[in-house]
Amino acid sequence: MKTAIVVQRYGADLSGGAEVHARYVTEHLSRHVEVEVLTTCARDYVSWRNDLPAGVDVVNGIRVRRFPVARERDIFDFADWSTRVFERVHSVSDELAWIESEGPTSTELVRHLRAARGDYDYFIFFSYRYYHAYHGIRAINSRSLLVPTAERDPAIGVSVFGPIFRGVRALMYNSFEERALIQAVSGNEHVPGVVVGVGSEVGARPDRLRFRQKYGIRGPFAIYVGRIDENKGCQELFDYFRRYANNVRSRLSLVLIGSSILDIPSHPRIRHLGYVSDEDKFDAIAAADVLIMPSYFESLSMVVLEAWALGRPVLANAHCDVLLGQSIRSNAGLFYENYDEFAAALRTLERDRRLADTLGRNGEAYYRRHYSWPVVERKYLDMIDRLKREDEEGGVRGIESLPSWFTRRRKTVLPAAEVLAKLPCGPVRAPKPPPARQLDGKPAARAGGVARYGQ
Amino acid sequence: MPDFSIRSDSVDVEQIMRRIRARIREKRGVDYTEDEIRELANVKLEKFLDPDKVRSDLIEHYRRQRPIPPLQTPPAPPNYGFEDETIYASSRSLSGRIIRLLRRILHPALKLLFNPNPVINVLHMQSAINAYQTEQFDRIAQKVGLGDELHALHYEVLNNLVVEMTKLGIEVKNLKMRVESLSSRLDFDERRARALEGVVQYRPASAVAGAAAPAGKTTAPAEPAAPQAQEGEQARRRRRRRRGRRRGPAPATAATEGAADAAPVPTGATGPGSEPAAPTDSSSDDSDGPDTPES
Repeated sequence: MKTAIVVQRYGADLSGGAEVHARYVTEHLSRHVEVEVLTTCARDYVSWRNDLPAGVDVVNGIRVRRFPVARERDIFDFADWSTRVFERVHSVSDELAWIESEGPTSTELVRHLRAARGDYDYFIFFSYRYYHAYHGIRAINSRSLLVPTAERDPAIGVSVFGPIFRGVRALMYNSFEERALIQAVSGNEHVPGVVVGVGSEVGARPDRLRFRQKYGIRGPFAIYVGRIDENKGCQELFDYFRRYANNVRSRLSLVLIGSSILDIPSHPRIRHLGYVSDEDKFDAIAAADVLIMPSYFESLSMVVLEAWALGRPVLANAHCDVLLGQSIRSNAGLFYENYDEFAAALRTLERDRRLADTLGRNGEAYYRRHYSWPVVERKYLDMIDRLKREDEEGGVRGIESLPSWFTRRRKTVLPAAEVLAKLPCGPVRAPKPPPARQLDGKPAARAGGVARYGQ
Repeated sequence: MPDFSIRSDSVDVEQIMRRIRARIREKRGVDYTEDEIRELANVKLEKFLDPDKVRSDLIEHYRRQRPIPPLQTPPAPPNYGFEDETIYASSRSLSGRIIRLLRRILHPALKLLFNPNPVINVLHMQSAINAYQTEQFDRIAQKVGLGDELHALHYEVLNNLVVEMTKLGIEVKNLKMRVESLSSRLDFDERRARALEGVVQYRPASAVAGAAAPAGKTTAPAEPAAPQAQEGEQARRRRRRRRGRRRGPAPATAATEGAADAAPVPTGATGPGSEPAAPTDSSSDDSDGPDTPES
């Protein structure tokens, strides 16, 4: 059996959640099925510039086929379209223009997908919001699986994605919150879906002492790993930590790992190490007292899973439903909504080592139970087997076609931000079981949208 | 001592967070959200500014000032420049020249009927006056615009000041509660110390000597032991007094340590009538090492 992984960028040295996620899944699936990656020549996710040569490449033993991007992204044009689609009443045609403007506009990739659809059994698409996924899924139609990597941002309210969520053969969700969000916006409860997430490549024996010696770090410290960006909540983290350091008697430092596009405050207890190797990163997390994840928008934080895999507790931003839900379900992290809670929770974790260790152990158990590679691989393979069985039975759905030329141009679509605001929010405490299915593969009863979950 | 010590591996993070939030609320005295503080401040704004001290209509004044709608009048027409030749001019190109020439030729005939020069003069002056007035109006409009912004700024400043004052008021209230609590503890400690001293002072010397001598031993005479025991007792009393002075009302802090001291608002949690904990060395309260779990 041959499977294609279709992703916007691909490379061993590329950072970015969805891209690393795709690479990990590809490398692990390649142990069970024949896998080929179809991607663009872009390295930079802002401009989608063609930095890599088109054609066939091999990355970590995986065959990768790259296609050029027709034009780079114009960020001003994209911002313009985003404002139009997110904030104003608009048309379907506007939404298609927004996708075109977002990119990566690789028409050759889509043409190849259409031409070579018979060469692969299934196509696994990553990141629903990009050009390659939207047009690719429409081209492939009945053999596409989608890993949406959806966050709670206005893009989820763009109406043209509804038929995509309802039209793919299966969805591999990252979290229960993501599944609830997509089901609420598209009503796709009948589409087979499973919450999978992704495993991690944490080393078996991280060396805490080596990290401390290498970077000269003494005393207790909290760690943040990831892009240091305002969009990731880092500015708020700096503000809170500085207040904490000034107001609370504590020796705790804050260590930052990752490239920065934000000014890091000059503070004796804040240290930025920049981009480090995976080995150093895992050693650092293992050596840390707590990992802080201040992001407001996550579909699945791999760093949080890595911290749990290494037995460390997490302090997460409670405004992010996914992080809050993960912390509650795993019993492995505290969370905060404001400075007072941040300070009190951090102080608790800093002072009560036994609590911190217990949370870390819970996290480790949670990771092993849900996100270890054998579990993740099994879920993918089971889903592919299920689709194969459905193919044999002949119960394959088609995708809804676009509205007519005139309807597409009617400005009647609600602003995406307004759609998002109406969606339910909050963590999923007890995941509901999948709907019972009849023998013909259709859902037993159509759920009338997802009720407000959580609180 | 940390607030949330655990005794087993089964923890509930939601419960921990509920306790943390409860502790924060407790420390704040009353749990005011930013909105509530703002609402409170709005009430106080009127309360503070309404009396005769400031201006009775200040609030109304600012409220009236704030939503000034922008001027909706149509723009003024362009000023008409009136020169000596204006009354003879024509806007047409070729025929205009001929018309102009004819008007010049007939000018003496016109002057026979009436003198157009004063009219030309007056209209020229009117044009200059119009230009001057327009400029003055523009300047006034600019000033009014700046005044609007200034009023809005003043309102914001006043509002922010009152919000801050409200926060400070709450903080002062909490601090007062804390001081009251501490002073009551101090009183209690002093009374206890005095009571203890009184008990020791009136203790019979023979009993002290008896207690000083080991039971069953009779080799040492009883007489010399009494003065030694008295001296020893006095020395102990002095040490106790010195220690009492050094300690002060310390034990109150033990109950409010831990995660709660991380919250920025000062505590007022302990009431004046509550029982003080046993005196401990205050330097050991906030060590950086791991804490012993709650027993």
